[in-house]
Amino acid sequence: MRIVDTKGQLCPEPLIATKRALKETAVGESFIVLTDNLTSFNNVSRFLRDNNTAYKFSEYGGIWTLTVTKVSGEMINSKAEEYYTPEVAHFEKGDFVIVFSSDKMGDGDESLGLLLIGNFIKALKDLDKLPAKIVFYNKGVKLVTNTSPVIENLKDLEKMGVELLCCATCVNHYKLESVVGAGTLSNMYAIADAMAKAGSVIKP
Amino acid sequence: MKVDLLQMVEYGGCSAKISPKLLEEILKYLPLPKDPNILVDIDTHDDAGVYRVNDQLALVLTTDFFPPVCSDPYEFGQIAAANSISDVYAMGGDPVLALNIMMFPAAKLPMEAYAEILKGGFDKATEAGVRIIGGHTIDDDPPKYGLAVVGYIHPEKIITNAGARAGDHLILTKPIGTGIIMAGQRLKMADEADIDEAKRLMKLLNKSGAEVMKKYKLKGATDVTGFGLAGHALKMAMASKVSIKIDMKKVPLIGNVYKLIDEGCIPGASFRNLDFVEEHLQTVSDLDYNLKMIAFDAQTSGGLLMSVPADIVQEVLSDLHSAGLSASTDIGIVIEKSDKFLFLGN
Repeated sequence: MRIVDTKGQLCPEPLIATKRALKETAVGESFIVLTDNLTSFNNVSRFLRDNNTAYKFSEYGGIWTLTVTKVSGEMINSKAEEYYTPEVAHFEKGDFVIVFSSDKMGDGDESLGLLLIGNFIKALKDLDKLPAKIVFYNKGVKLVTNTSPVIENLKDLEKMGVELLCCATCVNHYKLESVVGAGTLSNMYAIADAMAKAGSVIKP
Repeated sequence: MKVDLLQMVEYGGCSAKISPKLLEEILKYLPLPKDPNILVDIDTHDDAGVYRVNDQLALVLTTDFFPPVCSDPYEFGQIAAANSISDVYAMGGDPVLALNIMMFPAAKLPMEAYAEILKGGFDKATEAGVRIIGGHTIDDDPPKYGLAVVGYIHPEKIITNAGARAGDHLILTKPIGTGIIMAGQRLKMADEADIDEAKRLMKLLNKSGAEVMKKYKLKGATDVTGFGLAGHALKMAMASKVSIKIDMKKVPLIGNVYKLIDEGCIPGASFRNLDFVEEHLQTVSDLDYNLKMIAFDAQTSGGLLMSVPADIVQEVLSDLHSAGLSASTDIGIVIEKSDKFLFLGN
């Protein structure tokens, strides 16, 4: 009979060895597990009981001998394959880039344009997929300043992993250097590169 | 000399806690002091004690220390400090001061390792806004480190284990699996990426999660540490006199934790926790055994488990996600007290 000798090993090694042996054993066949650690003996026994596996044991001189018999092919009620990629809540990013070239959305009434762009940015967080990057140039950079009505929403998106690229030339032009509240200052190469690599570019 | 702290311990981190069952039996013989200013003591199985100074101010007191959970001394210091401070956050308090508690084998390890552990603790405490103003060291092997922390809290804004109400949902802010991954790391079975993620999570302060709790004036919460998700959920259910149902399939896991446990990597501490919870536990008949054992995995510096009124669950989740706690998930519900305190389902 196969002997799985786990003497000298600490938890969870004896259990790992037992489980491995159980997988490799045919239904109806038995193997022996040896351990010199009471905790390991208790834990392996518990595991076997929990998984409806038959075993007998004896103890002599501080060494426990467990004779384990595999009674069923359906060893453990686990559906391993279902869990290998656990469903962890996370933020999936798409391959699209959003470009803001103005601090307003659409032509027409100015206050309406401000309201619309605010609502648009707030809605981004709830999309199925977040944008890969958001680009701000020309008057668009005003959206990332500390007094912008959407600065908190943009900071949230940044925390969720969305990269915010702000045109440095534009920030300098409008003299906003000291009030930029989110994102990183970028050159036109980085901006062109982001747009070129995007699956699609959205310009609201 | 490159120091590998992990080779010095069998049980690291909160896995080294004494069996909760034993602890409960011993504490029965220890009289609790009577004082109307003691607002929270171990009677409600809470994370920290709270003592009223005046109507505006109460002190939150807590201590925690443990043997290494990782190889690098600096990282160990950071993790131990984050874990110690966490109890103050779990109560809704603001941590303010701390003392170092250190056990260090001076003959076995270079003094640089000692300095690195303290440096890690100092940096993490500083990040939390905590000033370390002293401490105490004993020569002992293996090394152990942690903090005794004092925090401030308003006496009427304490968040406790006893604050869960039927109808609430339970939100967990960090994925589970640090105990399994640390055991797997010692046996070279765990993926590097998962080890890194576990270390990142253990270092992560529960500060941002606590801020969300305060914003929504939540009443019930705890942090998930040595007694595992199931153990801490049970303590919450008992203190609140309710029952808790957890949907194990929804519980976020670190990386390939499921695969590790499926290979039999179930740390000894999980069986201790199972022993403690068992008599109060009912599982659905087809509960996946691996998922069941994940519920008992001892966490080091684990996330917050918050009891959240049903009507604000989405807002709380959205705020937690925005705060960078991207794994935050609604994992279960609080129901009226039933024949068992805890139910685990698929």
